[in-house]
Amino acid sequence: MAKSKLRKTFLEPLGKNNPVFVQILGICSTLAVTNKVQNTVVMTLGVTFTTALSAWTISLMRNHIPSRIRMMVETMVIAAFVIIVDIVLKAYYPEMWKQLGPYVGLIITNCIIMGRVEAFALNNKPLPSLVDGFASGLGYTYVLLSIAVVRELLGSGSIWGIRILGSWWTNWSIMIMPPGGFFVLAIIIWVIRETIMKEESHA
Amino acid sequence: MSVQRSFYKDRIYPLIFMLITTVVCILLTSGLHLYTLDRAQANELSFTRRAILEAADLPFTNTTEGIERAYHEQITEMDGYYTASGSFGTRYIIPLEGPGLWGTISIMVGLGEDLQTFSGVAIVSQNETPGLGARIEEKWFTAQFKGKRAPFIMVEEGTASASQEVDAITGATRTSEYFKNLTARVPAEAQRIIRGE
Repeated sequence: MAKSKLRKTFLEPLGKNNPVFVQILGICSTLAVTNKVQNTVVMTLGVTFTTALSAWTISLMRNHIPSRIRMMVETMVIAAFVIIVDIVLKAYYPEMWKQLGPYVGLIITNCIIMGRVEAFALNNKPLPSLVDGFASGLGYTYVLLSIAVVRELLGSGSIWGIRILGSWWTNWSIMIMPPGGFFVLAIIIWVIRETIMKEESHA
Repeated sequence: MSVQRSFYKDRIYPLIFMLITTVVCILLTSGLHLYTLDRAQANELSFTRRAILEAADLPFTNTTEGIERAYHEQITEMDGYYTASGSFGTRYIIPLEGPGLWGTISIMVGLGEDLQTFSGVAIVSQNETPGLGARIEEKWFTAQFKGKRAPFIMVEEGTASASQEVDAITGATRTSEYFKNLTARVPAEAQRIIRGE
């Protein structure tokens, strides 16, 4: 029983309750970092780490947090984890840290993290909260990666900085710029809702 | 009694709770910061030194140790600039900063003995658009300045032919312009920094 509930907690953010294409959360970072696969991977790892651990931490504290100041406490915990990500990147992956620049700090403002903490972690035990946060991070990750692959391939002719398309390919600059992010995200949301989600709602 | 209790519950407890949370978070993050500080500073220094080596067009292995070794063997630190001597004569490397599209672009420029001919350009830090303006960090772009003299003329990507022409970056016209302006200041800055004029 408990196991099947945990399983459901894990699967929901990946599919019918996906933070990006269902809840449309975390869109700013979705548009900002997806023009290169490499940046996207680091960003999504950072978000997954932060979402999972903040949800877990807040869930541990949930019975003691005064409800009037809960948002301040949540922000504080989330910010602490984001700063940890930033410090670790800066010390151990300096090249990556340099490339991502201000984006790492902006993980704090990713609505998915606050959203999961408010909607789930405050009312659930630590383990399910951890699973929910982690799965939300994964749900965010795979959508962003699909966008990033399309954008980098069309915009730079490469994936992970490795040239895939030959010199005959003319880069679509628009794919690298923010509008490209809007287009690809919109197309992905449309395709998923028209195909997979439609079947689910009929069933 | 009950009034006091709710005063504690409504006013004091949240205050204490927030205070404790804040202190714990600050201790954790600042502890980690101090623990990794040496490493972070070493990385920073390594980036600058690599840029100096690249600007001087000297060979090095791209690891922290490789950069350190090459730097100590070949670079002399002067007042506000750097020099490298070898069979090629002396090269002068000067740091330079200027505005970019989003933030400051900071570069190292290597010059020959005439203080005119570029031996190389390397980016120390920049905040241009990733995938567009940030491509000024790519090797093909910085390598174009080698052996040429400022001021440069930016032409469409892939069409540079004359000795003063360099390829601009498609989709990053503004960044390319800023970079051109920055490099145009090099001869005057070199005179000022090195000759003190």
